[in-house]
Amino acid sequence: MSTKILSQKFYDAIKKLETRYPTRVAMLLPALHLAQEETSWLPPEVMEEVGACLGIHPAQVKEVASFYTMYNLKPVGKYHLKICTNVACALRGAEGLVKHCEKKFDMKCGETSRDKKFTVVEEECLGACGTAPAMMMNDDYHENLDVQKLDRLLESLK
Amino acid sequence: MPKCVIDGKEVEFTPGQNMIEVAAKAGIEIPYFCYHPGLSVVAQCRMCTVEIEKMPKLQTACSTAVAEGMVIKTKSEKVIKNQKSVMEFLLINHPLDCPICDKSGECDLQDFSFKYGDSNSRYTEERRTYMDLDMGPVIKKSMNRCIHCTRCIRFGEEIAHIHEMVATRRGNNTEITTIDGRPLETDYAGNYADICPTGSLTLKDFRFKKRVWYLKKTPTICEGCSKGCSMEVHQDNNVIARCLPRVNMEVNRHWLCDEGRFNYHYVGDKKRVKEPAIVGHSNPTASSSPSINPVANVNKTDWGSAIDAAKTVLAGKKVTVLIGSDLTQEEAKLLQDFVPATFSGASMFHFGTPGIKSVADDASADNILKRKSKTSNLNGMEKLGLKGFDSMPAGTEAVLVVRGGRAVLPDLKGLPAIGLGVFNESAAVRFKAILPGTAFAEKDGTILNHDNREQKLKRAVLPPGQSKALTEILMMWKNRKADNKSGATGAA
Amino acid sequence: METETIFIQHFNEESRPLAYYLAKMDGYKAAKKALAMQPDDITAEMKKSNMRGRGGAGFPTGMKWGFIPKTSTKPKYVVCNADESEPGTFKDRDIMRYTPHMLFEGMLIAGYAIGSNIGYIYIRGEYTREAKLLDAAIDEAYEKGYLGKNIMGTGFNFDITVHRGAGAYICGEETGLLNSLEGKRGEPRVKPPFPAIAGAFGGPTIVNNVETLAAVPYIITNGGDAFSKMGKIEKSGGTRLFCVSGHVKKPGVYELPAGSVTLRQLIYEHCHGILGDKKLKAVIPGGSSAPVLTADEIDVVVDIEPLMKIGTMLGSAGIMVVSEDYCVVKLLGRITKFYAHESCGQCTPCREGCKWMEDIIERIEHGHGREQDLNLLLDIADNINGKTLCALGDAAAGPVMSFVKKFRADFEAHIRGGKCPNA
Repeated sequence: MSTKILSQKFYDAIKKLETRYPTRVAMLLPALHLAQEETSWLPPEVMEEVGACLGIHPAQVKEVASFYTMYNLKPVGKYHLKICTNVACALRGAEGLVKHCEKKFDMKCGETSRDKKFTVVEEECLGACGTAPAMMMNDDYHENLDVQKLDRLLESLK
Repeated sequence: MPKCVIDGKEVEFTPGQNMIEVAAKAGIEIPYFCYHPGLSVVAQCRMCTVEIEKMPKLQTACSTAVAEGMVIKTKSEKVIKNQKSVMEFLLINHPLDCPICDKSGECDLQDFSFKYGDSNSRYTEERRTYMDLDMGPVIKKSMNRCIHCTRCIRFGEEIAHIHEMVATRRGNNTEITTIDGRPLETDYAGNYADICPTGSLTLKDFRFKKRVWYLKKTPTICEGCSKGCSMEVHQDNNVIARCLPRVNMEVNRHWLCDEGRFNYHYVGDKKRVKEPAIVGHSNPTASSSPSINPVANVNKTDWGSAIDAAKTVLAGKKVTVLIGSDLTQEEAKLLQDFVPATFSGASMFHFGTPGIKSVADDASADNILKRKSKTSNLNGMEKLGLKGFDSMPAGTEAVLVVRGGRAVLPDLKGLPAIGLGVFNESAAVRFKAILPGTAFAEKDGTILNHDNREQKLKRAVLPPGQSKALTEILMMWKNRKADNKSGATGAA
Repeated sequence: METETIFIQHFNEESRPLAYYLAKMDGYKAAKKALAMQPDDITAEMKKSNMRGRGGAGFPTGMKWGFIPKTSTKPKYVVCNADESEPGTFKDRDIMRYTPHMLFEGMLIAGYAIGSNIGYIYIRGEYTREAKLLDAAIDEAYEKGYLGKNIMGTGFNFDITVHRGAGAYICGEETGLLNSLEGKRGEPRVKPPFPAIAGAFGGPTIVNNVETLAAVPYIITNGGDAFSKMGKIEKSGGTRLFCVSGHVKKPGVYELPAGSVTLRQLIYEHCHGILGDKKLKAVIPGGSSAPVLTADEIDVVVDIEPLMKIGTMLGSAGIMVVSEDYCVVKLLGRITKFYAHESCGQCTPCREGCKWMEDIIERIEHGHGREQDLNLLLDIADNINGKTLCALGDAAAGPVMSFVKKFRADFEAHIRGGKCPNA
């Protein structure tokens, strides 16, 4: 087989999970999370490698990876901003946050900034409605946002 | 036997029988797309909904167990509204391709739209479209026509045992595909076109060939291997357009492998020798290099001359007769009478698949349908007492090969040979003369599959050109006097 | 009057460690008591408690546990539904990050009751931090012998594994969740068979919400009757966690006895009224799947049966409050877009119908609606409602039907005026 892309850490983690599930394919969602932590998105070669590790057809990996929104099947920027625009956040001004990002990075929502640093997408309810508007950036939640707070955060990351 | 009531009619059923089948047996049609008797039940299309007493919501017939005393209505107002609604939903993104779609005329979507749908659509939004990736040499994909019944996905997983056809993305954007334009790997890809209820998955082999309502269908048996799957030959004007599986729950259930499905091409091959022929060899010229092979010419002639040529080669010699195990029992028996009476001291062997000399060598080739013997009547030949060909018996002076289109010619060791049966030009050059015979689709006959199942071939098309049935050829041989005058064909 | 609460007083960072749970919350005492009881008696207490599933369906929990067969050739499973993706819902997050041991204790008691030694917590992928906190808390429990082999020396084994989702609302549907747990697309299954018979990996399984399981220790300690009596309404026991968000001055999680409060009291007393003291326009009482209520309908008791009687539902108790400041056509458009986005795509009405409704409402919102569009919307919604493989179809149809019926004038203004009257 071609050279491996994923690290030994990935394979060790899979080994540890084996005792927790009765089938290998049940480890597919955790495996894709672990892979994406290393490669930031899931190109076909990485999905093939995950498939080979679990003993399943690569098409099986793709059908699962493409079903869930958290698996990136296209490259994303260093900072992946997911701004919730569902009911509670919409009611508390989420659209303003999205428009601010579009203006700031001169792009449409769903795209990546020219310097490849920021990807901004609209997101569904994140379960932080009591502290709306909220967004997820990479692994972290940012809540009780307004345009100023968001802008200060983005400036600090530029 | 327990009873239920469907549309006011008392109907007996077997416990475990699917409600759709129970209704069908009682002559009541419940329309469906995702249900298939050979695949698991998913109840996704929602077309087969019926009203069941004591249940407030409509229930899908395919997934609801029939119970004693159940009262089922298939034509209530609620059911009819839902059928119209499902048809409307399915058609909002479906392109009006019928005029150019191969499935037209045998399309579930067309048929059920006509019977259960509405003639008007209220959809005025933009239609969803997909880009089609290639899927390999067997199946043509037109994703825009797909109604997401997922039969193809289930077929891949459950029957072909290869998880290669998958749904990607989700919701309205769901696409059903192999990944990244990879060709289908399975040897059973043709079945995808059979089970697709629309023209989304069609056979490249059949593309734009013939409108299905012109096809005449003949039930027969596939000659691809010793499994003997039930098959149908579809033809028009004596040209075979395609072969499809026939349902036989004891042999092949609903399926056919690609090798068997596409085997028929040789029957109508342009290079098939359809006239009696004498093979001439022009000598290399003095100036040409000795390494160039002599060019052989297949020269058409009349039956009388061809038989004369054959007699010249075989009469009075020690003959080995090779009988293809792609021939029928009737043909084999004719030869068992003819050979000892015509060629004294002749040996007879059956041949067919290299490496498979007897039934003992035959076995499953995969865990689905295919078998190692690539001819259909190996078992029949053995039951008639014929031995499998191993090597040319010592002292053989001439060879008579009788076969259909499948049996693989062994090495004839440069011996003078006569070919009786189906040959194309490149095979014909190994013989001195060809007596053209019939292929499997051109004759009636009995074959015995590996399971000792006696099954019948049925003639679907006429033998082409001057090709004749074996019984006629042998009769002409017997009656032919050394008369060079006429091209007598079968004169008594 | 003092009302006893189970959760809310512990919803802060200090409560998370095992040491706090043991010292201040009678940690794992209920489990010790339960592991000495007969399994059937535990299920009996759950039935007495009138605990209704806190995830959204409100199914009686004791009854659900009672469906598990006594014997099975396959292992049995306890699966915690921590997918919490219903818009407007954010209570399970607090349980998991502040009081995770309540959940583990509840799961192991449930396991003992049904004969299972294996538990999974299916947590939505976006709760990355909460999943890490759960893993750390589980490690604590294993270390001190409250999980794993021979728990507290009773001979009972119970393992818990955290399984992260990856962004799919439909994985909150119990059979979609089970498929996702098994490593597949999170597509709901045909029922029957029900999870109690064939659930995770083919074995008998109970799938319960975080809040439901986290309340189990209390029920065991104090008895099912006591829990039932906490509820101020028949057939609905205990306290509930209400999530209030949107145009209120004090959004957040509130714990109150079941059936003890009306929407009006919740909004104007507990949440201090509407943001900016604006006029109330609409209330969505049970996550976005619940049919909407107008400002005239808020004197209803916030619980399962009262809300059902007026044509809506309690669902996940995610109450979203809308003032006159926001266009309801736009809001319905956003809600319908959510369901179209989250539809798994298996069944015809949902896959085709939700997107169709989304497109129509978007046209209306941007001033390109036609007169016939409203009745068309209602008919499409009716063709989806009750006709789909799972409840997502109903969840998409309900809001469309209720918004269009109750705010028809707003929709008509968009159609006739060619734009939003508020714009």
